Amino acid sequence: MAAVLAQPGPDPRAVPDPAGAAPAVGALGPRSRRRASSRRRRALLWFLVLAGPNVALLALFVYRPLVESFYLSTMQWNLGSPVARFVGLGNYVEWFTSPATSQVLATTAVFTVTTVGGALVLGLGLALLLDRRLPGRGLARTVAFAPYVLSGYAVGILWLFIFDPRYGLMSAVLGWFGAASPQWYTAEPWPLVMIIVVYLWKNLGYVALIYLAGLQSVPQDLRDAASLDGAGPTRTLRSIVLPLLTPTTFFLTVTMMLASLQSFDIIRSMTSGGPLGSTTTLMYQIYQEGFVNGRAGYASAGATVLFLVLLTVTALQLRYVEKKVHYA
Amino acid sequence: MSTRPVLTRREPTRRPLVDRPSSRRPSALALGALTAVGALTLTACTGPSVASDVSSESREQATEVDWSQVEPASEITWWSNHPGGSQEVEKELVERFEEAHPEISVNLVTAGANYDEIAQRFQAASQTDQLPDLVISSDVWWFRYHLNDQIMPLDDVFEHLEVDVDDYVPAFYGDYEYDGLHWAAPYARSTPLFYYNADMWQAAGLPDRGPETWAELAGWQDALTEQVPADSAPLGLSVGPSWSAWWFKNILWGHGGQYSDEWETTLDTPEALEAGEFLRDMFHDSGLATVSEDSAVDFASGLVAATIGSTGSLKGILDAAEFEVGTAYLPDGPAGGGTPTGGTGLAIPSSRTPEQQLAAAIFLAFLTETDQTAHFSQNTGYMPVRTSAIESPEMQAVYAEAPQFRTAVDQLNDKARSQDWIRVFVPGADQLLSEGIEQIVLRGTDPEQAWSSITPRIETAYRENVEPYL
Repeated sequence: MAAVLAQPGPDPRAVPDPAGAAPAVGALGPRSRRRASSRRRRALLWFLVLAGPNVALLALFVYRPLVESFYLSTMQWNLGSPVARFVGLGNYVEWFTSPATSQVLATTAVFTVTTVGGALVLGLGLALLLDRRLPGRGLARTVAFAPYVLSGYAVGILWLFIFDPRYGLMSAVLGWFGAASPQWYTAEPWPLVMIIVVYLWKNLGYVALIYLAGLQSVPQDLRDAASLDGAGPTRTLRSIVLPLLTPTTFFLTVTMMLASLQSFDIIRSMTSGGPLGSTTTLMYQIYQEGFVNGRAGYASAGATVLFLVLLTVTALQLRYVEKKVHYA
Repeated sequence: MSTRPVLTRREPTRRPLVDRPSSRRPSALALGALTAVGALTLTACTGPSVASDVSSESREQATEVDWSQVEPASEITWWSNHPGGSQEVEKELVERFEEAHPEISVNLVTAGANYDEIAQRFQAASQTDQLPDLVISSDVWWFRYHLNDQIMPLDDVFEHLEVDVDDYVPAFYGDYEYDGLHWAAPYARSTPLFYYNADMWQAAGLPDRGPETWAELAGWQDALTEQVPADSAPLGLSVGPSWSAWWFKNILWGHGGQYSDEWETTLDTPEALEAGEFLRDMFHDSGLATVSEDSAVDFASGLVAATIGSTGSLKGILDAAEFEVGTAYLPDGPAGGGTPTGGTGLAIPSSRTPEQQLAAAIFLAFLTETDQTAHFSQNTGYMPVRTSAIESPEMQAVYAEAPQFRTAVDQLNDKARSQDWIRVFVPGADQLLSEGIEQIVLRGTDPEQAWSSITPRIETAYRENVEPYL
């Protein structure tokens, strides 16, 4: 009975016949094929069970709004009305020809480059400091990371007090050095400088934490070897640590840039995009046009542009910048 | 002949499981794509239907309701931002109502921190059934609700409930009138007021009253400048949206100008240019005024000798100032003057059932009754919205305690003027007008250039967001 059962298909535990009698794949019996196909079905079922809810959620809450937003960008709609007018690419034409667009793009570029660049440089410096065996290191790490978990809106309001040109802490500190406080709220370009400083302060801890993790994965033997070869701390940093940190830097550049381009809460709470639009980034313009001016179609066109900017920036980074990344 | 194979195309290479680039590549790309999508979801709400004609005639009009046949609902929801920190006052008003009308309960919901947040939430909810039965409708928002058929006229239901609408302060109730119907009822209403530091006034040898005209204030400038710090100025004014275009009306009207004649923007008139020039001179040449981040704070701390603030700030200023605070009418210009009104009313959404609408109207009528509006005014600093409340015992007690409040009420009677249409009816126009004012105040831009930079944008906003819906 056992022999009959074993006959049609190969036993996976069986030792292959040295004479080449073991069946080739193409020669599998029907039961074996069935088994393989049932395994595939089971795998597919598991895939659907595990990935299905996530895919459904993404489709419902991410891709559907994405498509709807593009659809709305072809409309003239005031957000509350039950009806809208189709205007084709009219909103895009207006966006690209509007005199406000160049200012918005310039502000967005300055904000993004300074916040991402500043956070990377300062975050690395902070991480190098926190990586050293200093007394109270744990506390210092916690303190450095704390701003990141605070609400951006609350941070903005708090810093408004600090920047107050007459009564603020910043004014007092500048006063110690005999400097007068700039008109942070009203005189360009200080409002933009103000929100950049606050954004940096809030996100520095996060960058430092990721860098710290990166630093701790730099193999000690490489450092030791460099040291034996006579490399000083600067040379070790330049030739060993920084190259090995490039995956971290790359990751941070991509994520920080996406976050910076979409930052909203600090701008909303500190300047509301003003004065005179000097702190209106593309993201803030979308909010302003959509929810304040009631131009949902125009705002959707801006959102589509932002989406394409983000996608292009990310794709370019993955395509070109990643080539310079050294993976250990 | 080379033994190495010649690759005509890049061969696909099997990636090891530990290859970090490969494991990160799709996730980073996906991360990028997904977070980018977040930006788009911001504007993606439930969509409207598409039509070439969106005018009010083409839209389905609500059928008339015979209110005598309707039974009020037993529970209603009220969306408020508790203007002037009035949450406790509003709770008490709800309690009073539920005592007087035990058959209706009111669910008071904090639906935003300010008028704009309430409005944004209301707009976003407009395509759903998650709407309140009564909603805060500020002066710059109610007309948008009306254009979108989101709120109902109150005239019929108020007539059925025998609400004495003639007793509403005419300037306040009249603000909500369009097409012969009233779309909201006044609730937390205010006007700008001229505040002065009476101690500084006395030290400067000035009479204990505000200036009757802007020219008179300019004449007092030298004496007042001696009273304030060297880097300050006698008058402190704040700029910014929902604010500067409000107080500037007084200067504009004082020079015989206006923002618009009904829907037509009139910022290119000689009067509007003259008013703009007056504003520029005040901040950049004569040194009469300075920009305050928070004019109420600067005034209360003695940094400036006078300011223009909302009547709603009166209580806060009186509490904060350690000197005698004087209040006066806004000064007149060469062509007269006037004060705009502001604040918020309450409206009833049109898509609620007649039962809910009737219950909401009963509550709204109660909220604006003499006793309630006087109580609200007493505890917040907003103006009483009924003429009968102005002289009520409750308000007399307020005047006795803070005589400055009497000035606000008198100014309302003597000087209140309905707002120019474009600022309150055209979406985003207030923001644009504020931008024009900021150009003049912060940059010293030539008024002609400032006004001409915003006029086409206001006209576009009107053409896109108002005209097609009329």
